[in-house]
Amino acid sequence: MKLDHFLDNTRKVDWLFLGITLALMTSGVCLVYSATANDNLPFYETLWFKQILYFAGGCLLAAGIVFLRLDWLKRATVPLYVLSLVFLFVVLFVAGDVVKGAGRWIDLGFFKLQPSEFAKIAYLLTISYWLSRHPVSLYKIKTFVVPALLFIVPFGLVLKQPDLSTALVFIAVTYVAFFFAGLTLTDMFLLASPVLSVLFSHSQELVFQVLWGLLICAVVFALVRRKLPKVLTVLFLAANILAGYASSMAWNMLEPHQQKRVHTFLDPTSDPKGDGYQVLQSLTAIGSGGLTGKGFGQGTQTNLAFLPEEHTDFIFSVLGEQFGFAGCLFILVLYTLFLWRASSTCKLFADPFITLITMGACTIFLFHMIVNIAMTIGLMPVTGLPLPFLSYGGSFALTCMVLVGGILCMRFQGWRQ
Amino acid sequence: MLNMSDNDSVQTRNWNVLVFMAGVVILFTVLLVRLFSLQYLDYDENFQRSENNRLRRVVLVAERGFIYDRNGEVMVRNRPSYQIALQAMHLPRKKEERAAIFDRLLHIVDKNGERMFDSLSLDTAFQRTAWIKNRPIRILEDASPEQVAVIEEHSSELPGVTTLIESRREYPYGTLASHVLGYTSEISEEQLKLPEFADYSQGDRIGQKGLEQHYDSEFRGKNGLKLVEVNAMGREVGLVRGVESEPPVPGLHLVSTIDLKLQKVAEDAIADSVKGALVAIDPRNGEILAMVSSPRLDPNIFSLKKRERNKGWAQVALDSMRPLTNRAISGTYPPASVFKLVTAGAGLENGILSETKYYPKSCTGGYQFGSRYQKCWGVHGNLNVVHALRLSCDVFFYQAGLDIDMARINEFGRRFGYGEKPLGIDIPGEKAGWLPDSASFNERNKRVGWRWARGLILNLSIGQGQLVTPLQQATFIGSLATNKGVYRPHLMKELRDYKGNVVKEFEPEIVRPGKMKPETHRILLAAMDSVVNHPGGTGKRGALPGIRVGAKTGSGEWKKGEKTHAWYAAVAPLYDPQIAVAVILEAAGGGGAKAAPIARKVMMAYFGIEEEAKK
Repeated sequence: MKLDHFLDNTRKVDWLFLGITLALMTSGVCLVYSATANDNLPFYETLWFKQILYFAGGCLLAAGIVFLRLDWLKRATVPLYVLSLVFLFVVLFVAGDVVKGAGRWIDLGFFKLQPSEFAKIAYLLTISYWLSRHPVSLYKIKTFVVPALLFIVPFGLVLKQPDLSTALVFIAVTYVAFFFAGLTLTDMFLLASPVLSVLFSHSQELVFQVLWGLLICAVVFALVRRKLPKVLTVLFLAANILAGYASSMAWNMLEPHQQKRVHTFLDPTSDPKGDGYQVLQSLTAIGSGGLTGKGFGQGTQTNLAFLPEEHTDFIFSVLGEQFGFAGCLFILVLYTLFLWRASSTCKLFADPFITLITMGACTIFLFHMIVNIAMTIGLMPVTGLPLPFLSYGGSFALTCMVLVGGILCMRFQGWRQ
Repeated sequence: MLNMSDNDSVQTRNWNVLVFMAGVVILFTVLLVRLFSLQYLDYDENFQRSENNRLRRVVLVAERGFIYDRNGEVMVRNRPSYQIALQAMHLPRKKEERAAIFDRLLHIVDKNGERMFDSLSLDTAFQRTAWIKNRPIRILEDASPEQVAVIEEHSSELPGVTTLIESRREYPYGTLASHVLGYTSEISEEQLKLPEFADYSQGDRIGQKGLEQHYDSEFRGKNGLKLVEVNAMGREVGLVRGVESEPPVPGLHLVSTIDLKLQKVAEDAIADSVKGALVAIDPRNGEILAMVSSPRLDPNIFSLKKRERNKGWAQVALDSMRPLTNRAISGTYPPASVFKLVTAGAGLENGILSETKYYPKSCTGGYQFGSRYQKCWGVHGNLNVVHALRLSCDVFFYQAGLDIDMARINEFGRRFGYGEKPLGIDIPGEKAGWLPDSASFNERNKRVGWRWARGLILNLSIGQGQLVTPLQQATFIGSLATNKGVYRPHLMKELRDYKGNVVKEFEPEIVRPGKMKPETHRILLAAMDSVVNHPGGTGKRGALPGIRVGAKTGSGEWKKGEKTHAWYAAVAPLYDPQIAVAVILEAAGGGGAKAAPIARKVMMAYFGIEEEAKK
């Protein structure tokens, strides 16, 4: 009987998912080791060892989370949400420690809490819980009121820190959550269209002008097909056209260092002494890795410390240089498997709460992966988002493991229902 | 499986998951395409660059601005200083090879047979290479050319050991005007954490005290940047093609109001064994012509290598004479009899005193107030205000003070720069002093339980009990003579860029009203005149040949049984004031005898009068 019970429980754990996660964590520790290896330190002071400790702590945390029952989680959403807002307030107005010019940490003595990491998770729970009971529809605009309110407060506080890239995580989570809470693919396109408009109309080049024209046509087509309420139809059209013409205005609203980042992003060589320096070094490091890389611990760029922040934000350059295209492909395949396995969890159950939590977690992972890698290969501006499981850093490692724990929990607790 | 009845929505959901994964694949494919183009198509170029074009950002440190005196003499300049440092990224990674370098460095001896590096600090530096990768770590500061030559000779055996040239401050006149100039030192870890030092980075030198601190941001200039290629040994190969360097913008030069000649005379007049201060100021605009605080320190010690710097620092910091304090602005003393000018001024201004006003009690060597007998320093008989100032008679001012009352006296004092607010001189550390009245006296002495009493006016009206700085004394006597307002005392005359263009001039600014009735002015000038030029005046040793000087002496009591502080405040020419001088010598005796001759020397130098050979 007992054995049966045990076997039953083990069957509820997604061992494949756990295995993929473990493979990613191992890769991460190896890369941190290679980026920061140091003969002169005892092993317990090295960064790679600290990273192992962070992951170990994260695994314990995740194991604990697996046993949280769904109804507990649902009941805990409101308190957690409020608590996260309190933390954000505190860090912003009371006790912010200044790291790189932005107050983002609360020093609890034994641990430096990063309230925006905590808020990511609390917000994911809250928005999932609300949307699981109140689906949204573009035909009933009222359904967006509460989600919008839930979103705007933590988003605004994080933006005020100022931490633009983390604030964008909130947008991504909300966007995908809407997709799984009632909106269609066409709706998703319409929601994203003003952003695309800004991107396309930003340049005066013919290609972009044509692209923008095509986009407007597509928007009109989508609107005609969806037969949305008149207010929304007008709103979407106006938003697109305004976005097209107002992108230069919006450009002026960006802070100078953000403008500079965008400039550098468009052409990293334009500022090789400043912001572009990191990108240029990163491109050189990755490019010089070739198809198979220079071998473990053999990166000349990274070993000579040409690359700043190589073990945190630019860990992907270490991977690219030492393991080449093959290494990058390997990690991206692992990532794909990871996301596939995580997202397939929700297919087992009908509960929309489980779906929303799982897909939200996947979105957080995906967003970090894309933004970070795109940054190291010069496709996106330099932001401070770390790479899941690979970048060095305690706070984010814990966030990742909490999310992994959450996904495992959904599967484990889903079966119990 | 709770609610499978809603089959449609489950199917939609599964379809949406598929769409999501399709999105993932598309996005990852974009990344892979870019990676492929970098790592396969552009491989050769990137590989070459990583092998040969090792880019490195090099900060070009801007030259710190000089300080000149008002006539263009250099008072502070820079000298090159060689630093020997470890470059963490070029040290070998293997433990044994590092140990070999460590040993080699340890065994280098200079021509006296002494080791260049000591094992302890070398060990610390090697340990720090574990953390600090992008910055050189200094192992020998301010190395001599011979030491540099030794290291350069063996550079091939010492990978990762480099020589850097920095620029350090040099004060060619040593202790001269050291308190005015201040010094520079490496920015501390604590300062780096503060938001106002956000522009600074580790290893930057920052001004401490004096002009070096106050005008630090002007002196610093703007660092430049260049992008260079370096070889595997970390030596520069050349500039990166097509990338322009950003040249550094040198800091601004400061032309001070100090007159070097005058400063030298003043410094020579006060021995370093004496605690004291001197301020010479132009009362017409507040320019400070000379400022001495004794004992002095030599700011050059802060530019030396660590060991010697620490030794020098310990010496000045622990010295009981407190040479670090700028007594001219931070030293607060009782103003003593100089303050009688304030009492007299307040009386005249309010119609309580006049040239014909005599008090019933003449000076018989003291004054009976209640049960107390307050002494005077002599027996002066019955006096009017001018005579009382000339002889500095206490009995007259005891009675005048009781008559006038403290509020009026303090109001007059504040009008001419004494009191609760600093005058705003452009170096840090200025004290405000204190003019007690009943409220502030009770507040300050709450802890000891002392209460204000009318009898205190007796002491206060002769300047015992207030606190003033030598700077305040100088601005006071100067503005008393001009009657045109108190100008903000300042040491910066103008700032110039490295080409010599004037960037900023100091605009004279009136910070206190400094005005009185013409009648009051006339009587006070007559009194100041007679202090020096009447044969019985207390300040006759301050007289100049051919130029009319007005002054007031003072002998401040500060501790029973000790000699008094010698005060002397003078202004000349009295009816067309150009220079005001205040001198204090701590515990030196009478102001007329000790302090007046020093001020006289400074004034002689200012007016270019040669000392007649007396002997």
